[in-house]
Amino acid sequence: MNFENVLAHHLIDHKLFHWQVGPLDLGLSPLILTMWAAAAAAALALTFAARSASAPARLLRAAVEPAALFVRDEIVEPVFGHATSTYLPYFLTLFFFLLACNLFGLVPYASGATANFNVTAAMALCTFLFIQFAGVKEQGLFSYVVHIVPGGVPWWLWPLLFVIEVFGMLAKCISLCIRLFANMLAGHIVSLSFIFLIFIFAQMSHVAAVGVSPAAVGLALFIYLMDVLVSLLQAYIFTMLTALFVGGAVHPH
Amino acid sequence: MDKLLTPDTGLMFWTVVTFLALVFILKKAAWGPLLRAVDEREARLKADREAAEKARADAERIQKDLEARLAGAHARGQEIVSQALKDGELLRGRLKAEAEADAQAIKDKTAAELAAEKNRLVGELRGEVARLSVLAAEKLLRRTVDDDVQKTVLDGFFKDLDASKAERN
Repeated sequence: MNFENVLAHHLIDHKLFHWQVGPLDLGLSPLILTMWAAAAAAALALTFAARSASAPARLLRAAVEPAALFVRDEIVEPVFGHATSTYLPYFLTLFFFLLACNLFGLVPYASGATANFNVTAAMALCTFLFIQFAGVKEQGLFSYVVHIVPGGVPWWLWPLLFVIEVFGMLAKCISLCIRLFANMLAGHIVSLSFIFLIFIFAQMSHVAAVGVSPAAVGLALFIYLMDVLVSLLQAYIFTMLTALFVGGAVHPH
Repeated sequence: MDKLLTPDTGLMFWTVVTFLALVFILKKAAWGPLLRAVDEREARLKADREAAEKARADAERIQKDLEARLAGAHARGQEIVSQALKDGELLRGRLKAEAEADAQAIKDKTAAELAAEKNRLVGELRGEVARLSVLAAEKLLRRTVDDDVQKTVLDGFFKDLDASKAERN
């Protein structure tokens, strides 16, 4: 049994079918289906919590509301101030979408959407585009482009700094992509590694495999529980950093 | 494992589409009602707190007012009592003085009446004594003395009497 093959089987997405539209292969895969399931679950649960007046909905709302208010009061409000209400739905959705994807990735047989480089790159791309959109919307196109370079810079340095700042902006988004991807992937790899220890020992002797399995399962479980925490944490970090980056474009000074 | 970093534009496309669709769906379906409810509750709590603070301030103001009025009433009561005491003292003094004056007046009047009565009695007694004396003298002399003589004799008699009285004194 090859560990690399096992990891590849669990962590790499495989298209169920191919549907070539221009340069894009829009064929579905287990990962896309998991992501849709996560999105649908988030949409249903949040809508239910927000609209229904039944007892379970009140319970759910009691769980959702503090998280939503945390996003509003601790992440979006300090950055955007009076414009909070305009941008709040985006950040709330970002937080709960990432959280749902992270947690769905922990369900056995489901694919970890946020443990895939392409998904986090797409999310980082959304952040990048959102930075440009918010900057142009709040400052106007000309003022936004001028203020990409901080004020008080000598004119002959301006072109150089402009290039550096644009690359900085790209680097911020790439770091967002890699941070979420690496954090979620690492949890899966470490969990799988601990479980795989059992099979490595089984190739030596069955007694050793039985002996090592409680420790391996225990450690895997510990990492798994830690992944729940990491899921929350990474959703929060991605949302908070997005707010900071967008805030930097909205208020140039 | 190098496939882990293989770009998959289709997956990226689906991710962006899914995420943006979720943003619009949740904005309409969930965040609107949820945030509205939160805002309403916060506004209600703020209004409640402000009303409570106002009520408390009112109560404190009323209490202070009442205390001030109570203190005023207390001071006024003291003043009335002390005024009444002073008035009472004054009245007592005046009544006592009046009573003393009345008593003195009664005493004086009684003394004057007594003196007058005594003088009258003395006069009457004198007249009676004179009549008796005249009667006695008449009987003694066995003759009637006319009124002029009688008067002359009586005046002489009284003069002697007064003279002897003055001598005794």
